[in-house]
Amino acid sequence: MTSIFAIVKRLLASNKVSFILTALVMLCATSSGDIVLSNGNYSWLLAVVTPFFFVFYDFTKLMHLGANKKDYFFGCLISYGFLAFFISLVNTVIHQLIDPVYSAQTVINMMDVCKWTENGIIVAGLQQMFFLLLVMVFFHVLLSMQAHWYGWLTDAVFTAIICIFTPIAPLRAILSGFFHTIMFNNNAVLHIGICLLLSGAFSIGGLVILKRKTL
Amino acid sequence: MIELKQVTKRYGQATVLKNITLSIDEPGIYCLLGRNGAGKTTLLKSIAGYQNITSGTIQVNSKTITTSTLDTGVSYIENFAKHFNLPVRKLLQIASEVNPNYDHDFASEMMERFELDGKKKFNHLSLGMKTMVSTIICLASNKDVVLLDEPVLGFDAIMRVEFYDMLTESFYKHPRIIIVSTHIIEEIAKTIQKLIIIDKGSIRFFDTLQSVETKAFSISGIKKDVEAATRNLNIIGQDNVGGLETCYIFDNLPKQTASLEINPLSLQDFFIQMVGHKGGVKR
Repeated sequence: MTSIFAIVKRLLASNKVSFILTALVMLCATSSGDIVLSNGNYSWLLAVVTPFFFVFYDFTKLMHLGANKKDYFFGCLISYGFLAFFISLVNTVIHQLIDPVYSAQTVINMMDVCKWTENGIIVAGLQQMFFLLLVMVFFHVLLSMQAHWYGWLTDAVFTAIICIFTPIAPLRAILSGFFHTIMFNNNAVLHIGICLLLSGAFSIGGLVILKRKTL
Repeated sequence: MIELKQVTKRYGQATVLKNITLSIDEPGIYCLLGRNGAGKTTLLKSIAGYQNITSGTIQVNSKTITTSTLDTGVSYIENFAKHFNLPVRKLLQIASEVNPNYDHDFASEMMERFELDGKKKFNHLSLGMKTMVSTIICLASNKDVVLLDEPVLGFDAIMRVEFYDMLTESFYKHPRIIIVSTHIIEEIAKTIQKLIIIDKGSIRFFDTLQSVETKAFSISGIKKDVEAATRNLNIIGQDNVGGLETCYIFDNLPKQTASLEINPLSLQDFFIQMVGHKGGVKR
């Protein structure tokens, strides 16, 4: 267990670029007009950038330091869990404390857009956390596959789904329904359950890919 | 214990390892020799579970090794291994944290002996120093099997001597299987117990150094005398220079006669005769 936490520590410590990039975007992003975007939304950027570092930068180096794949796998999951909590906390705090400052304008925060705040701020924070966990695990698996033919196939399948499902109305309804379930969902139990289920499924997929990973 | 059974590895059409069967039972320092492209790195990476083999099985301590083995119990380090760009001391510290069996005292001692600046970041080190850091991490891992792929690359003569001492010390402190691949043959001879020679993807030789010392000879003389003396012996190479015939054998020493000059083969000469090729034709 100690070695897993050592890996978590290292993964987070070597993720400085993602932290700095996200912080810069959050601080520098501006919007004008009556409707403005909450700067807290940009904290989600950390969830998108982090898997790139975990997959492409940290893995080989940790292996060369004597870590094993099992510890790396659990280390990544714990780190994603921690980061999901951290990002959610930051955006929730911004939503509660900074967004109300712009009283004359309408501030759009993704927590409202996704209808999570309808369940109260704590549940909304939890829903956001589990959604971000799903996003990070999904990106981790997708990026891990890129070295293999099935990674490219998956990319092609996703692109095809978006291209084909978007213009055709009945298919668009399916796509929309899927996103309503995993993202724009005010049913907290269902939403968290789906996010956890998909995160678990992707994690198992990630483990299978990790087992095939060469150095 | 390492056990390879009919191991074959192909990259596309090229067969890099050809039906290798090898069993390493006892702890010791083993030297893996082979020409460039002989399959040394592929063999070591396969034992470490860094890549899959095409057919056959590899077992380390009865555990089958593939990329799916999440904890192999094998420590492998290649030259030019990438590390986090952190101060050396910090890097060794992290290695001790991610590996519960890591011998931090040994690593610190070696860092001081090799005068590695603990505050210097990894990317600012010379090639030799980078290799030394990787080697220290690998040896201090205390795993049951340690594989060092050309660890003396970039080392000066003094560092190489120090490295061989470190290898011996590390082994006596914690006896285990250590396989070192190198091209600098004679220098490592004092350190190793057994020799593995690989050529064109096949194991050509696996035995003790004593067997080379007691069985590897060159026999020179007039062709008919040499032929008579080496009849029924295991000839590993032949040369003919200016009418003088030289036969290289790996067998029991034939009877010395006045017309023959018999000399023991150095390890390097033995290796050259085992794998030596000129213009694509085996000597």
